[in-house]
Amino acid sequence: MRDVYVAGIGITSFTRLEYPLVEIAAYPGLMAMRESGIKSIDQLYVANMGAARVNHQSGLASAVVDNLSLTPAGAETIENGPASGASAIKQGFLAVASGMHDTVMVIGAERMREVNNLEATDFVATLTHPMAEYIYGVTLPSLAGMFARLYMEKYGVTSRHLAMVAVKNHKHAMDNFYAHLHEEITLEGILDSPDASTNNPIVADPLRYYDMCPVSDGGACVILTTADLAKKTGKPMVRLAGVGQATDTHAVHDRKDPTDLVAVREAAKKSFAMAGVKPADVQVAELHDAFTILEIVESEEAGFFERGQGHIALQEGYTRIGGKLPINPSGGLKAKGHPVGATGVGQAHEIVLQLWSEAGKRQVKNAKVGFTCNFGGFGNNVVCLTFIREG
Amino acid sequence: MERNIYAYKCKRCGHVQYPYRTICRNCHENDHNEFDIVPLPKKGKLLTFTHLFNPPSDFSTVFLSLGIVELEDGSRITGQLSIERPTIGMHVRANVEVVRKDEYNRYYGMVFYEA
Repeated sequence: MRDVYVAGIGITSFTRLEYPLVEIAAYPGLMAMRESGIKSIDQLYVANMGAARVNHQSGLASAVVDNLSLTPAGAETIENGPASGASAIKQGFLAVASGMHDTVMVIGAERMREVNNLEATDFVATLTHPMAEYIYGVTLPSLAGMFARLYMEKYGVTSRHLAMVAVKNHKHAMDNFYAHLHEEITLEGILDSPDASTNNPIVADPLRYYDMCPVSDGGACVILTTADLAKKTGKPMVRLAGVGQATDTHAVHDRKDPTDLVAVREAAKKSFAMAGVKPADVQVAELHDAFTILEIVESEEAGFFERGQGHIALQEGYTRIGGKLPINPSGGLKAKGHPVGATGVGQAHEIVLQLWSEAGKRQVKNAKVGFTCNFGGFGNNVVCLTFIREG
Repeated sequence: MERNIYAYKCKRCGHVQYPYRTICRNCHENDHNEFDIVPLPKKGKLLTFTHLFNPPSDFSTVFLSLGIVELEDGSRITGQLSIERPTIGMHVRANVEVVRKDEYNRYYGMVFYEA
């Protein structure tokens, strides 16, 4: 296999965007090409989950490759639920590593705000088991609620710990121009004050409004290439060193221990093994905090903390910028936003920016090894990536 | 008529699975449809639950209570709860009722009550 490097990155704001999905996809592509000086590619992968259903558009990659005037390059749309983004990066990695292509553009794009919140939640709920979950009214927030209740009971995690994830990630997002929520929140405002139950109502008990990510539109792009071509961009050399993916049962109730996220554990392990690093070598991570509880549990399953210790690390400030292992410096899904199919590419964008030392006020000092966890379904399909800065 | 939710018992190894899988998760040895169809028990223990305050638009209630129940035979199922104050570990019994309907279809599933 050939080594695979990052040549360029681009992103849109994650928010409600009032322009067509194809342009949401194309803009970060243009940004990445202008910044890297790359003018032609061999292959485009576009990660997207809901275009056919939400935006009444299929064959998205064909539309995007033409919009960017990159024809006749190959183009494919990758749908793997909320893990579509990292899955598309995995395809890009395979294409360059195998020697089939030299330069691959990976874009993630989603426009969920074209429909109302209930329709958007229902569209995401189509991920659940049609007969054993969906018919009952199960949605992703309700799976997270059931998961959180069990986990909190087992490990002594409280609503306060969950709120600390939200407070931290909202604070991080204040320094991210592209984040969806620029709103600093406090424990007082969402938990302790008499207004807290109005500010922060229960949505899927025990999870509250501020335990959940917003519904976002947005796009992101990463261009992958060979070492020789990456050198020409003049950017620091960042290698996509580890790619790991794993799956778990479709219906959540089918798991031996419903508080285990086995697919996160396995995907992280494979990603670290391929990269030849240990969890302790990682200096910055973007984890899939669609719900606050997930940041805590993923930080344990990825191997950063012992089981049941994630919330302690959080409480002690390990995971904020300035701590030992900053998690979600971008604001995470919680505050940066969650345009489902684009999220995994957005995570990679943040890690590359951090490893390039171009993250501005939210820069994690001396970051050389970065990690992303992109979590599909309710943990039934997880893709983890490890990036290493060389030199 | 008493309604049931049916599970799939592998004819090779006896493992009961719900929902349906083409290949048995336990022995991986069965041929196509080599399962006995067996009704799931209706008594069990509540493993976890939530009250969902933004239920999907097919539901007209203010909130929807959902839970995962471990049934007497050890198999598990997700279902709706009709229990005012559910607690983890409580004993529950199920009735198979319409759990969702839209303009055209009615879907049956397990609704759990306090045992």
